[in-house]
This record gives sequence, structure tokens and C-alpha cells, in this order.
Amino acid sequence: MADLEKLITVAKETVSRDDVKYLIGWRQGTYGFRVSPHFITEPEEADKLIFSPLCSNNLATYLTLVEKLPVPRGQEADTRKIALMVKGCDSRAVVQQLVEQGIKRESVIILGCPCQGVVDLAKVEEKFPAGLEQVAARWDDGKIVFQFSDGEKAVPREEVLADKCLRCRYPNPVLADTLLWEEVEAGSSSDEYADVSELEAKTPEERWSFWEAQFSSCVRCYSCRNVCPMCYCEDCILDRLNPTWVNRSNNISENTAFHLSRAFHLAGRCIECGECERVCPVNIPIMTLNRKLTKEVREKFAYEPGTDPASKPLQASYRPNDQENFIL
Amino acid sequence: MDNMKLPKEKVGDFLAKLGKEKFRVPQQMEGSSKFAPLNGESNADFTLSNTTVPPKSIFYPQTETLYRYNVGETAMEAPGEVDEMIIMGIRPCDARALSTVDKLFTWDPVDPYYKSRRDKATMVGLACQEPRTNCFCTSVGGGPASTEGLDILMTDLGDSYLFQVLTEKGEKICQEAGDILVKSDDSDVQAAEKLHNDAAQKIVRGIDSQDIPEKLPQLWESEIWKKVSDPCLGCGACTFLCPTCHCFDIQDEVEGLEGRRCRVWDSCMFKEYTLHTSGHNPRPSRRERTRNRINHKYSYFVDKFGVIACVGCGRCINLCPVNIDILNILSQVKEAL
Amino acid sequence: MKENPYQPYIATIEDTWFETVGDRAVKTFKVTLDDEEARKNWSHRPGQCAMVGRLGIGESMFCISCSPTEGDFLRFSVMRAGKNTQGLHEQEVGDKITVRGPYGNSFPLEDWKGKHILTIGGGIGQAPLRPIVEYVKANLDQYAGLTMIYGARTSGDLCFKNEFEEMAKRDDIAAHLTIDIEEEGWDYNVGFVPSMLMDVGPSPDNTIAITCGPPIMIKFVLENLKKLNFADEQIFTTLENRMKCGFGKCGRCNVGNMYVCKDGPVFSYAILKNIPEASA
Repeated sequence: MADLEKLITVAKETVSRDDVKYLIGWRQGTYGFRVSPHFITEPEEADKLIFSPLCSNNLATYLTLVEKLPVPRGQEADTRKIALMVKGCDSRAVVQQLVEQGIKRESVIILGCPCQGVVDLAKVEEKFPAGLEQVAARWDDGKIVFQFSDGEKAVPREEVLADKCLRCRYPNPVLADTLLWEEVEAGSSSDEYADVSELEAKTPEERWSFWEAQFSSCVRCYSCRNVCPMCYCEDCILDRLNPTWVNRSNNISENTAFHLSRAFHLAGRCIECGECERVCPVNIPIMTLNRKLTKEVREKFAYEPGTDPASKPLQASYRPNDQENFIL
Repeated sequence: MDNMKLPKEKVGDFLAKLGKEKFRVPQQMEGSSKFAPLNGESNADFTLSNTTVPPKSIFYPQTETLYRYNVGETAMEAPGEVDEMIIMGIRPCDARALSTVDKLFTWDPVDPYYKSRRDKATMVGLACQEPRTNCFCTSVGGGPASTEGLDILMTDLGDSYLFQVLTEKGEKICQEAGDILVKSDDSDVQAAEKLHNDAAQKIVRGIDSQDIPEKLPQLWESEIWKKVSDPCLGCGACTFLCPTCHCFDIQDEVEGLEGRRCRVWDSCMFKEYTLHTSGHNPRPSRRERTRNRINHKYSYFVDKFGVIACVGCGRCINLCPVNIDILNILSQVKEAL
Repeated sequence: MKENPYQPYIATIEDTWFETVGDRAVKTFKVTLDDEEARKNWSHRPGQCAMVGRLGIGESMFCISCSPTEGDFLRFSVMRAGKNTQGLHEQEVGDKITVRGPYGNSFPLEDWKGKHILTIGGGIGQAPLRPIVEYVKANLDQYAGLTMIYGARTSGDLCFKNEFEEMAKRDDIAAHLTIDIEEEGWDYNVGFVPSMLMDVGPSPDNTIAITCGPPIMIKFVLENLKKLNFADEQIFTTLENRMKCGFGKCGRCNVGNMYVCKDGPVFSYAILKNIPEASA
């Protein structure tokens, strides 16, 4: 069970350390059910930290989103650690970043938050239209309880949890320096990729017309890429001009090139936190695309990214029994 | 001209009478909404509040061909004239956004692409009756029934729309559709005014923007910029979907020998936006970019054009993946001043 | 300006040569507009810029590095750095490029008549100063004098070197050339531009100082000009920023509430010091 007191105590201790630059957790947002990442440098700021079914943000993205500004002459680079609160899925992102050597183990302190699932805001707001009132939430025995000023409202978890949480197999951090409270029971969730199978069952024409409609509505704001903890190339092909791999024009051809490039670049790397789909302002089901590749990778190579810090990236590992029949 | 009414069951006739191809109306698409041409019968949805993609996309599309050419040749061909348009169902904040952006696009030299579409468009606005949580138009000079930038203001009276005719362009439309519209009387106007007032009462968020434009630059080195931009992902959701954000990039795009120089939406929140070819970036981090975004809207634009470049539509608040909330930023600004 | 400000003129390269070589070589293009009408109507002032490019590659903003007093042509000095400049470097005599402009304000050379003009340039930063030099040279009797300080890392990085060597020989102009590090066969000065400025020690009396170069150079030049008692109103510079339209629409070139393309690129230090974004 999430222990807020413990969380705040550990956060205060951590952020007081000389070798810690800042700590990232979650705090209540400015209205409704919103939550915002909370960057802390001072112990007193830890009092605002929360952990609840509203804490969707995968904070691991901030490990690679750190801006590497030129160090002024005469100064030394700040090598202090970043402390980070992670749910199970978030921890897989950290692990995969470590596996890919995108970050250094000694540069991060991982505070593990065993998690019973976070909500899909759209599902919640369908039930309770977002008002100005800041609403907190908690887990309670298979229910999500929303704490309104005029009383609490409990909803069965199945009705409001994000799809990724309903099939979650990693509710507990796979890697943590400190586990903030007891692990939760992994439960009997399984993932049969029903959403992917459904799409696979369609004809190519049907599939294309589905994606054509989806990609046409993309505005190329790149929130999916920027929120993604695995999209951390310093020189992203989408930004490149010389040569230009993907034109800046918004049309079905360029938008498709963008989404497919991103999906392929995440093959064997996507840890299924679902952030890309959550943040998309036009609600493109990006995870369906990513999960198709995740499914392929799992079936063909029995590989699941972000689960073993000692593993190698899929593309950098070879096993004699790897399938080769896709090679022309 | 007298006010008129369009009975709801006659909306289809109205669209047909004036020519369906002319209309750009709010529509619910796959996972979002936007203004698009009518197709088929009537896919207009006048019950939507703000569309996800603001109607700036009609006048200033995300991708615009400036001219076409053949690679290796020197002839350039600009796109032809645009046809007349009727933008029906635009919300007052979005119409105000266009009047705001007009000031920039008609600042010498006039932008011919934008201007020609603006000239060809008749704006039929729809008063808001159910403002959303993050609507704050009344804080920045607008309101749920603001008429700025509109030719006609429509108000949903239940079984009909009241048409308050504001300009000659609006009058022309009402004359053309004269046999479909019905006369309205004072009671309709009174009913509409009551609805307008009720809607304004329903707006729950706001900011006193009085001193902000003059004083904002004084907070240049304030720690609030770091604080509010810490969670920023550097994506373009807030700017691309802002009805007043207008920045663009110009790129040459070539397929085979066919080339075009086009402009595409760009965002001041992207690091490439200000990146010099030398590698130097005058706005090196999200702190500087966020500071510029807020200063541009609430101070620089005011200096140049006399109005705040924010109409309080709430999109940037609604769509930010990490709850960066412009009202929250502004209230921190007020506190720091 | 054309009715459609986005549509460029086609221009032909009349002459082109390398100012410097290497990875970031600087190539100068002397071009004339193809359209006779356009050529007749074109007028630019020292300090103004133009969008130069190639159809199929793109366009970038460059300062016009010649003075209208030089003749009926335009000059651009382009450092190879990105996609567009690479594309331009591939162009030779007779090739067609696109040009639109001129954009921005200019150096108030008319107001400066009767004054002593001091230019302080570094590297490719001499390009926007060159029109001033040429303009004042052509009207030398109307100014109290012309002093130039110009430096680069090595002698190979100096632009317009021959012109400088010519000017160094004249006794009605003071031209000071410097390079950062000693070189064999180098007959001029050695040392950074800001210290060269102190060595020359110009008097601020009735003088206007205009500087352009790398940001770090400008920083120390400004400090030294202050030490020499130049008032803020006597110091000018020209800014550059990434630009796309050139006429205040695309948004990106702003420094605080100023658009470099419309309100600049020429700014006095008296104006710039009040823009926090510019001082950074």
C-alpha cells in the first residue's frame, strides 16, 4: 500500500544529500484530476509529493531529456545524481536506458513505487467531467476512490484504469535503490495482444484505411516522441535537415513515414508505458503500432526490453536459435 | 439589418442554399475535432466546444505551398486564387484569435496567402453556452458571445439559432438565404442575451491581466521560468494547437524534379527553432523557450500590436501532457511582480 | 519589394571566389538580378540583408556585403555550415540562385556624416561591416575619417584580405589587421581583436564604433569600448538569428520584443542593453 509518509521522508533525505541534484516525483496538478511532474531541490518541497492512481507520467523520460548545455569556461560539469520515483512500467524504461547505456547507473537514484495501476484520464473524465476542483484519488481493494470535496466516489478499477494497467505484468519496479513500500501482488494479468490480433485479422486495405485516418489527424507536435523515455537520440532523424529524412510537410505520406520510423526505432526497445498514446492531443492509438512490434519481438526472439539490467539490447544480441526466416 | 433565426430543422437547407462547398464547419474526426469542409449530408457538429485543432488551420494551414517549380528551372508558380468560404460555428475566442493574428499578417508587408483567405471568408460565430473548465476568455478581453472578428453571431436558442447580423458580409449571407431564415423579435434577443450572461457566469478560471504586459520583462531572471519549465517536454502541443500561435518554417521539398517551397507550422518550444547553423542556440533550454512563449503572448505582441496574443481558449492547458498551465504561470508572475 | 514577398527574384552569379578555405570556407558571390525591372527597382542600404537560396535546396538570410556605391550588383559572403550554404557553395559563375529582400533597417550612415567611423570586425563578422567601409570610402570627404580593425584566427581565416592590404597602404584610411596567433610571413599585427582595439586606442570624440564578430569577441570589444569612454549611443552592432521569412511573420528571430529582421539587424548598444535577451 502506497505510504505517503515514507515517500516524503525518503524524498527529504534523498534531496538533502550533497550528491543529489534534484528529485523528480509527482504532485497534484492545477485542476481536476491532473498531476504534474514535481522537481525538487529543497526538502520542504517534498511535502507536495503524492503517489496515487493519477500518477500516470513516466518520469524516466526526464533522465534523457536533460539539456546538455555547454559548461561555462572555468566551471565543472554537474555530475550529481538525479533521484527518480518509478512505477513498475517506469522502471523498465530506466532499465532499458541502462541496457542501452543511454544513462549511467551511478547518475540515478531509483525510488521504487509498487503500483496498483493508474487511470486513463479520458475514462475518468467521462464519468466525472473535470472541474476546477483538484481531486485526489487512492486505491482501495479493487476500486479507485476519488476524493471530491463533497465526498468520495469509488469506481471499480476496471472502469477507469488505463488499458496498459489492466494487463500489467510488472506492477513492481524491476530495479530500485529503495523500494518505498511493500511490493504489490502481481496478480494474474496476462497479455495476449488482443488489440494487435484484432488489427492483424483485418485485410491490408482495412488496416491501411484505419491508419490513414489516424495518421491524417496527426499534427506532428512530437509530444509522443518527446514524452517517450526511449526516444532520446540527440540527433533525431525527424529533426534532421541534411539530409532530410522526413519532410516537415504535414500530409499522409510524411506523417506515415514519421509514425512508422518511430515505431521501428522502438522495436525491441518499447517498454509499453503507453505515454505516447496518453499525451497525443489527437488521440492516435500509437501503442497499437508499438505493440505490434513488441509482439513480434516477443514471439520471434523471446525478448522483453527493460526487464533485465544485465541483458544486451535486442539488436546487439545474437542467439544461435534466432529466427532468420524473415531475411530475404 | 434585422436579426434573423435559422430553425434547426432548416440547417441542411441553409447549407445547401448557400453552397455546401463553401462551408467549413466543426467536425468530430477519429480522436479529435477540427474545422473541415462539409462532405456528404451534414457532418457539422455545432455542439462541440472548442475544436482540438483551432480554425487557424483554415487560414493558415499547417502546410502551405508558397510556389512550385521544376528543379533546374527558374519559373515559379504560386497557387491560384482561393474560393469564397463560410466559416460556420467558430467560437468567439477563435474568431478573436484570427483578428489578433490579422495584425501580424497584415503588418507591412501583407501576407498574401493568409490575407486572401481572410478576405474570402464570412465568419459565422457560435456563442458559447457551456464554457469549459479552462476557458478564460473574459480575462483577456473576450467573452462567450464576443462579436470581434465575426460577421454573424449565432446563439443556440433550443429549436433555432438566432443570427445577429454584424457586418455587410453577414447581411449578404442572410439575404441570400432569406427564404430559409425567419424573422426574430426582441424576445429572441433577450433570450440570447440571458444565455450570453449565463455563460459568462459559468467561467470559473481567470487572471487579472492588467499589469502583466508592462511588467513581464522585469521577471527575466526570475526563478519561476525554471520552475514552470522543469516538467516541459519541449513538444509542440501548446503552440501548434494555440489559435494565435503563428510561427512557421520555410522548407524546400522535392519529389523527383518537382519541387515546392512551402511553409509549415513551427514551434518556439522546439530546440531547432532558434538553433543557429553554427551550433549556437540563443535559447538553449526549455527555460528560455517557455519564457519566450509567455513573453511573446503577454508582452512582446502587446508592444507591437496592442493586444495580448492569447484569447483564453484553454487549449494549451487542456492538451499539455504535463499540466503546464498558463494561468498558473501567470498567477506566479503576478505574485512575483 | 514584390507583391508576393515570399517569391524571390532569380539572380545570376557573375563572379565567385573563395575568401577562406577549409571545412567552414567562405565563398563570395557577386550576383545580378535577371529581371531588368527588378534590378532597376532594387535599392539597398549598408546593413540590410537578403534571403539567398537555391530552388530545391532552400534559402537562408545573409547580409548584403557590398555597398550600393559599388555598382548595380549584390555581393554575399557565405560560410559553408549547413544544407543551404553547402548548396550555395556548389554554385559557379552563370548559375541561378534566388534572392529576395532587402530586409531590415540599416546603418544610419547619413546621420553619421561628419563623424569618424570605426569598424571592429572578427572573422565572417566583417561581411556586414564591409558595406560601411565601402560606403564611407566612396564618400570619404563627408566623414571625419575611417578606421578599421579586423582580425581572425589565422591569416587564412581573413575575408576580403586583398582589399584590406590595399587599404593598409593608403594614408587617408587606417586599416589594422590582426590574427590571433603568430604566423610565418605575417607582416601585420598579432593578438585578439579586443586587445588590438586597445592598442589602437581610438578617441570617442565624434566617433561611431560598429562591431560585428563572434559573440565572445563582441563581449570584450564592448567592454573595451566602454573603457575608451564610448557612450552607448556611439556603439552599434548587427545581430543575426535564425530567420525564415525576413519580414516579421515567421516569429523566430525575435530578441525580446524586437524582430531582428524588421527592427534590426542594426542596433545601437543603447537599445540592446535594455533588452535582457540580447545581453545574454
